[in-house]
Amino acid sequence: MNFHVIGRKTIRKDALARVTGAEKYASDIYLPNMLHARVLKSPYPHAIVKKIDTRRAEEIGAIVITFKDVPGRLFCPRLVSTPDATYKDWKVLTDKPAYVGEPIAAVAAETEELAQKALELIEVEYQVLEAVFDPLESMKEGAPKIHEKILLNDRVINVENNIACKLELEEGDLEEAFNKSDIIIEREFRTNKGYHNQLEPKVAVVNPEPDGGITIWCTTQTIHNTRLLVSEIFNIPVSKINVKKLALGGGFGSSIQTNIVVPIAVALALKARRPVRLAYTKEEDMHEHSSFQMIFRFKVGVTRDGRLTGGYMENIMDIGAHQIQAYPLLGTCAGWWVSLYKLKAIKYIGVAVYTNKIPSCAYRGYGNPQVTWAVETIMDELAEMLGMDPIEFRLKNYVGEGDLFWGQGPTVKSVIRSCGVEEILRKGSELIGWKNRPKPGEQKGRYRRGIGIARGYHTSSAGSPIPSQVIDYSGAILKVNEDGTVDYITALIDQGGGTLDAHAKIIAEELGLPLKNVNIVSADSQTTIYDVCTHASRGVYAGGGAALNVARQVKKKILELASNVLNAYPHTLKIRPDEERGQAVIYVEGVPGKEITLGELATLARIKNWGTIAAVESFRPPACPPHFTGYFVEVVVDTETGIVKPLRVVIGADIGTVINPELAEGQLHGGFMMGWSRAILEDLRYSKDTGDIECKGFIIDYKMPTSKDIPEEITTFFVETYEPTGPFGAKGLGEGAQNPAIAAIANAIYNATGIRFYELPITPEKILEKIREKEKREPMKVVAEKLIDE
Amino acid sequence: MIEVTFILNGRLVKIQTEPNITLLDLLREELRITSVKRGCETGECGACTVLLDDKPVNSCLILAPMIDGRRILTVEGLTKDRELHPLQESFIEEFALQCGYCTPGMLLTSKALLDLNPSPTIEEIKEALSGNLCRCGAYQQIINAILRASEKLRRRLNYKP
Repeated sequence: MNFHVIGRKTIRKDALARVTGAEKYASDIYLPNMLHARVLKSPYPHAIVKKIDTRRAEEIGAIVITFKDVPGRLFCPRLVSTPDATYKDWKVLTDKPAYVGEPIAAVAAETEELAQKALELIEVEYQVLEAVFDPLESMKEGAPKIHEKILLNDRVINVENNIACKLELEEGDLEEAFNKSDIIIEREFRTNKGYHNQLEPKVAVVNPEPDGGITIWCTTQTIHNTRLLVSEIFNIPVSKINVKKLALGGGFGSSIQTNIVVPIAVALALKARRPVRLAYTKEEDMHEHSSFQMIFRFKVGVTRDGRLTGGYMENIMDIGAHQIQAYPLLGTCAGWWVSLYKLKAIKYIGVAVYTNKIPSCAYRGYGNPQVTWAVETIMDELAEMLGMDPIEFRLKNYVGEGDLFWGQGPTVKSVIRSCGVEEILRKGSELIGWKNRPKPGEQKGRYRRGIGIARGYHTSSAGSPIPSQVIDYSGAILKVNEDGTVDYITALIDQGGGTLDAHAKIIAEELGLPLKNVNIVSADSQTTIYDVCTHASRGVYAGGGAALNVARQVKKKILELASNVLNAYPHTLKIRPDEERGQAVIYVEGVPGKEITLGELATLARIKNWGTIAAVESFRPPACPPHFTGYFVEVVVDTETGIVKPLRVVIGADIGTVINPELAEGQLHGGFMMGWSRAILEDLRYSKDTGDIECKGFIIDYKMPTSKDIPEEITTFFVETYEPTGPFGAKGLGEGAQNPAIAAIANAIYNATGIRFYELPITPEKILEKIREKEKREPMKVVAEKLIDE
Repeated sequence: MIEVTFILNGRLVKIQTEPNITLLDLLREELRITSVKRGCETGECGACTVLLDDKPVNSCLILAPMIDGRRILTVEGLTKDRELHPLQESFIEEFALQCGYCTPGMLLTSKALLDLNPSPTIEEIKEALSGNLCRCGAYQQIINAILRASEKLRRRLNYKP
């Protein structure tokens, strides 16, 4: 297709603000006369607050709140699922903390330093309870009870064996499928507890308004769900709460839920009747959210000719101390699995288990990177057992065009209508030199190279043709200005990938506008209509769908008005961008002089009292089409240190029509770096002595990749398909960009060493241990230790 | 309270402040220079990087009295008469930013590098940037931007009217 802006290289609209330091993040908001807040947190992983004395803190002038001062009704901070699928076990402040770092009390004072002083004057008497850090231990009889009663929507549920929620699914006859299998493989996988490590720690600034309303500036991926939650907790009418849209210093899922700083700051501001700013430190932020940690048990069958038959998956999810909609994740984990490869029969058991750890939430991929790691490891192993090429084996079994797809769980089903999987795998394998890869485990020498592949996908949004348990729609408002530009007003938040640039291009394309004539204007929850959240790689697809539909409405109005002015039939009119005049021009083809610029038309509409050309669109995506990716990774393993380095990386992607090629490429680069981090480096390990994470929240002991860890060479390519339900054929990318990374890296390590790893992260220590075990090597002599002894 | 006198982006600043306040807090909380981003506050992430006498430092690790009589540059000082620095242009042109939170620190570290070493190798760039984290993973694009800016600056130096 011939587009005038879509697919072309254009600079980011927000780039100027970002390179000049002018961009405003929630952490940059300071209000006159505001108080600064600090939060008192439990030093114990499990305890009861027996007594809390705040008098001394109040004596120095601080505003103090404890669990007694906040509404006691349980809530869930994430509002993406429908109420009937939402479990609630959160309080703003608690008297029964269930992890180190759970908020007990909060203070606000004139300065942050004074607030800290006040915090230290609060006296708390705890009754320390036994804590549990392992989900398997937690489910056993006699384990400490983390929650007694929680809510499912408004219904009280008794928690048994610390099981937060569960989901079982069964389709087809699994026994028969296994009976017909020639090979059955059984494997157990354990994933790590990762921390998003978005650079901007969580912040909330709250201003109480004279009419009883409140205005909020905060780190969030959803302004509308933030206001809904604050309304629910504090029983304030939703229309009285206004949440401002700001730049976000990285999200990766960590602000899909309303972060706890928001209701705490609201409670303080309501009590103080003054603006309050609560800014978490990095250490506090690391105690606020993490990924889900999973134990998978798989059993998969295959026939001798390489057809998968059926599969069993058990998913024990350690969710930490509270639910951030773990229930839908149980469904998506099954969905990620069954929508990768065709299985005639499946059985799935998913159990979400409470432990005394930091609450888990979505982390780029919503369980998909973990599931894909397990599935793509098994696919590699099965191919080897069958003596088949791993790529051909995948191509024989993948779920593709025309197949039913339910990535977002069993209630979100749609049919795949665009799919570039085969081309991704063919082209990628050529670029990496797949045919010349080493045979696993045959290399000797200190440095061993290996090539691994993995494929994956993610849904674009969580839309479907019929209502499901997931809320997914976007909103857009568009108005034409007298200078011929349009103002685009949306609640949708750009996490950094450049989503709103894609929307601007979609609008410019539809209206025949020069791109610079689309203004993305500031917005808040009062001036926008509902958008669920920027998650599920839905920004370009679902938000872009709203942008396209609102532009279509505006176009219709433009053509109707122009038809009067130009004395022509509306359907015969065309619009073209006139870069010279910097305007969209509406014209009658082949009739010279019959034309008017959009600016002239908008001005005429005002003078003639025809009204403003504007429209509103609330858009529900009819599907959640998968965007597909393929990873081809070459690594080198140092068998004496266990250190792995990325050499060459090739990533192919089918994201439908590519709207912003350079930004899309940036997603793939970022996806690899984050995947590398999760495969090799990251893990929030718990110390049983302190009940806290070993790194205590300091990133010096929680490593992530730096500029020195990038691959020597990274090649990306796009296989363009056309998604019929997407705006101009586009799909999402943010999560698919990363999902197969861990699997491809693990498969490359296997190819280099002949060793499979079933536990993340694959650290140098683990690699070294396995190599020594396999090759019966003596551990290297530790010279330093000897020196100390002497 | 003590008085600290320093040059901030070419302008003299005299300010009364507590001696135990960090440069990060002085710039953000007292002077509202919000381009200096608050990240880890332990000298690990580089989001709060400023140039102190042309050298990149983590402003969270510098105490206010230490800057008395010295020069501080933040990204606000990179732009002259609304004209972008070649590094700023190159970051835009190479798409070397995503969420933008690390960008001010990245730009300043890059400036310090190019001031000392106008034609750095890729390895030298990686080394120079290794104290500035980018969680969006835009390292490759940032390296490309620095190479482009280096080229622009060299052309500018060779320019003879």
